[in-house]
This record gives sequence, structure tokens and C-alpha cells, in this order.
Amino acid sequence: MIFQTSYSANIDHDMRWFYVHLLLSVKQAREAALDAQLLVLATDLGKEKASQLHAEGSAFDPSAFAEHLLSFMGLNRLEEEDDDQDGHLNGYLPQDAWQKLAKRSEVCFKMAPSFHYMLGSFLAEPPPPRQRVERQRKAPSKEAKRIMPTQLKKMEESQQEATEKEVERILACLQKYFADDPEEPISYYEFVIDPSSFSRTVENIFHTSFLIRDGLAKIYLDKEGLPCIGPVEEGEIETGGAADRNQCVISISQASWKEIIEAFDIKEALIPAPKTLSQES
Amino acid sequence: MSQRKKTSASQSKPQRTNENEDEMTFSQMTSSQVQRARENFASVQIDRKVAEVVQFILVKDQKKIPVRRADIVKHVMKEYKVIYLEVMNRVRRTFEQVFGLKLEEIDTKNHIYILINKLEAGGTVSMCPGNPGKTGLLFVILSIIFMKGGVAKENLVWNTLKKLRVDPREKHDEFCDVKKLVTDEFVRQKYLEYVRIPHTEPVEFEFRWGLRADIELSKLKLLEFVAELHDQDPQSWTQQFREASASESRT
Repeated sequence: MIFQTSYSANIDHDMRWFYVHLLLSVKQAREAALDAQLLVLATDLGKEKASQLHAEGSAFDPSAFAEHLLSFMGLNRLEEEDDDQDGHLNGYLPQDAWQKLAKRSEVCFKMAPSFHYMLGSFLAEPPPPRQRVERQRKAPSKEAKRIMPTQLKKMEESQQEATEKEVERILACLQKYFADDPEEPISYYEFVIDPSSFSRTVENIFHTSFLIRDGLAKIYLDKEGLPCIGPVEEGEIETGGAADRNQCVISISQASWKEIIEAFDIKEALIPAPKTLSQES
Repeated sequence: MSQRKKTSASQSKPQRTNENEDEMTFSQMTSSQVQRARENFASVQIDRKVAEVVQFILVKDQKKIPVRRADIVKHVMKEYKVIYLEVMNRVRRTFEQVFGLKLEEIDTKNHIYILINKLEAGGTVSMCPGNPGKTGLLFVILSIIFMKGGVAKENLVWNTLKKLRVDPREKHDEFCDVKKLVTDEFVRQKYLEYVRIPHTEPVEFEFRWGLRADIELSKLKLLEFVAELHDQDPQSWTQQFREASASESRT
């Protein structure tokens, strides 16, 4: 096996040793294997040496590089000599050592800045406002509850008893008119009709029918056959008694309403219009 | 790195057919086909897609891990895959004109992109607010590799770092698990390559510059700083200076 190198005469002592060894003839496989191993080692060594030989410039020494870096980073050296053998390191690096190095070496990089939101992430803060709102809500709700029942009562009153009130009012009117002139019969039509409002007329008829139903008023026909209305005096009719009770349906249309107004020459309503709802409540 | 290879191997078949389909889409469509495809999308829709891709890449870049074209297509482009080239051109332009960044394809075979800064580092505002210390460590390792001709044995790097009080066997105040940071994170970010040296027993590794480092770093600026530290002229390292100048003129 012949081993040749491509570089010149300044061969290291180690290389010469390999050169000589390999020139000898090889007889066994095991020796061939050993030779192969040696060849690998030789080329590695050769490469190292060759690079150092061929380098036109300075050699690069990583240890020296490290020392320079430490100085740059601001190493605080202690007084004692460092002991190389057990690897004990001399001095200590300040906190910002690596930051300092990073800042200077950043210049060599064309690093794109990392994307991040400028104003940070959106942080919702519900807890404090929620507490305040809860407290505020509690106060009004109590008051509201207090108010509610009274309002409701009023509401119910007005709905259920509006009719009753109206009926009572009409009864009072009837009684008043009758009291003014007990002998004069009151024409039913004159009593209920409101010449200015058809709807009021209908309501009056509706309410008077309650009076009749409850036995507080009576409708009878006079000599001419026209219906008249009058209050029932106490004791005149027993309530629930087998009195002369008749049923009839009264209907009225706008046309007939106008006819009656003309016929009876009704100028104004005998039952005055009720006060408006807002005034009542 | 080896773990990654195992998982991809187990899913190799379906993944490979997808990759092949991608290749067919990108390389075999004629310009008229692309033209017709583009007409299917409204200009407003394309604008939106461009914006989505830009945002996707910006977010991916936070960790500095390169973005794969396959990921862009799968997660963002989807049906706009057919006009990939046009969208990417507009994305590139947006990065340059709006953000002052360059979208570089560092691996043309596997189609992997990174973002680098188009603007010169000002020096006043730090460009990497995340963990600036890492940049310093990375610089040291890359310098050793470069000054040693482009390859450095693992042991050499560790021994040098030990002198700087960075020991892979111990937890470091600033870098925590140094070995993981150097051999895993920096490698995934494509700053370094951690390659096994063949025929070594026991197994030895060596470090080289990664694809990202080749594009993101200025060898000349690196040499200048190294020279500064040594209080020497950068040209005193002739080979390295030659290499650095050549690299600078290429970019």
C-alpha cells in the first residue's frame, strides 16, 4: 500500500511515521483494517496541518477569541491567578454581559423584528364595574318592588271598578234628576243619549243596564209608550223577589241615534261626560 | 432532528402524494390556465388572501422557525392555490413596501421561507426584543464556525463556550438548557446545522452554518467585529476576508 501526500517536504514527524509504516507490505486482513483506520486519522491530521500551512493570514485561536469576548462582556477579573488544570474559571461576568454582546452583534444580523401587538392584548376588566352595578341595582329594585304593588292595585281598581264607578255616578245623576222633580218622568232616551258623542251614548246605555240589572233603576213605558227611567225607591222591589222582571235588548245605531236626537230635540247630555282617566287616577 | 424524521417517515406515503400534487399544480399549469383561474376570483378576494398570507407569515416568524409553502397552502391559500405565484408575488411586495422586510426562499427544493430585514440595523432600537441574549450566543458559535473555515467540531464549540461560562452540562442563568438551545432550537430555526460526522466512534457531531444564517448574516460585518475584538485588521485573516467579501457582493 502506498500512501502519497500532496503537500510539500515540510511534513510533520507524525506524518513521516505513517508514511514509513504503510510502505511495508501487509499480510493479514486485521492489519489491513488497522491500516484503514490509520489512514482516516492521517487524513484528518493532514487536513488540520495543511489548513494551517496554507493559511496566508493569521490563524484563528478559539481560546484567544473567548478571552477577548470575556473582556468585551466586562469580565471582572479577580486578583488570584487562574488555575487552568482543574478548569476553575477566574472572575465573574456581570448581569448584562450577554445583553451587551447581543447588542453589538445584532448589527451583523438582518433579523426581522418579531411581530407583536403594540398595545398588548385586549384585557377586559369586568369585575370592578360588575360589583358597582350590582350594588346600584339592588337599591332601585327594592324601591321598585315597593312601588309596584300600589301601582298594580290602582291598575286593577281602575279596570274592575271603573264600570262600577260609572254606574254609581249615573245612578247619582238619575237620583238627582228625580229628586229635582219627582213627578216628571225622565225619558230614557233623553237620559242616555249624549248628542255630542255616539260612543258616550253607548256607554251610558251599557252602564244604565247595570242599574236595571241590580234593581236600582227601572224602565217603564209611559202613556205614550215611550220608555222612561227612574230610580227604584227603597222597599219598592224586593231584591231577588218575584218582581216583574223583563229582559230586553237595546240596540242603537248611529243613524237611529241621530234620529232620536232630532226627534226628541236633545240638546245636551243629561249624564255629564266623566272626568278624563288621568284626572281620576 | 432524528425524531422528526421518524414521524415523517411513518406518514410518508400520504404526505408525499400531497407534495407531488403541489408540485404538479405549481409547475405544470400553463400561463393561460393560471390566467383563467385568476378570473375566478374577485380582486377584493385576492387582496384579502394576500393580507391573510402576510399575517400568517408574520405570526409564524415570531418563533423564527421557517415557514413551509405546504403550510401556507394548506392553512391560508386553500382554493386560491391555483394563483399561488401571483399571491406570493404580492405578498413579497407588501413585505418590502409596507414592512421593510424581505421574504426569502432559503430552500428552493423544499420551499421554505424566512423573513429578514431589508433595512440596516439602526443600532438604537433593538430588533429582537424577545431574548436578546440568544443573539450573542448565536454570534459566538457562528463566528467560531466561520473563522474555522465553515465547519467546527462539536467539542471545539463546547470548549470555547465553557470558557465563556456556558456549559452544556449545567443549567445556565440566561439560556437554561444550552444544549437544547444550540442543537435543537437554533437548528430548527435554520441558524445552525448539527451534522453527524460519518465513521466516527463514538459518534461525533459538527456544526455548520444553517440556511437562515447564510442569508440573514453579513459575514463581513461578523469578521469586522471579530477583528475588533482581536484588535486586528479584518484583512489579516485573508481567507475569511475573501469569503466574506464574496458573500457580501452576492447579497
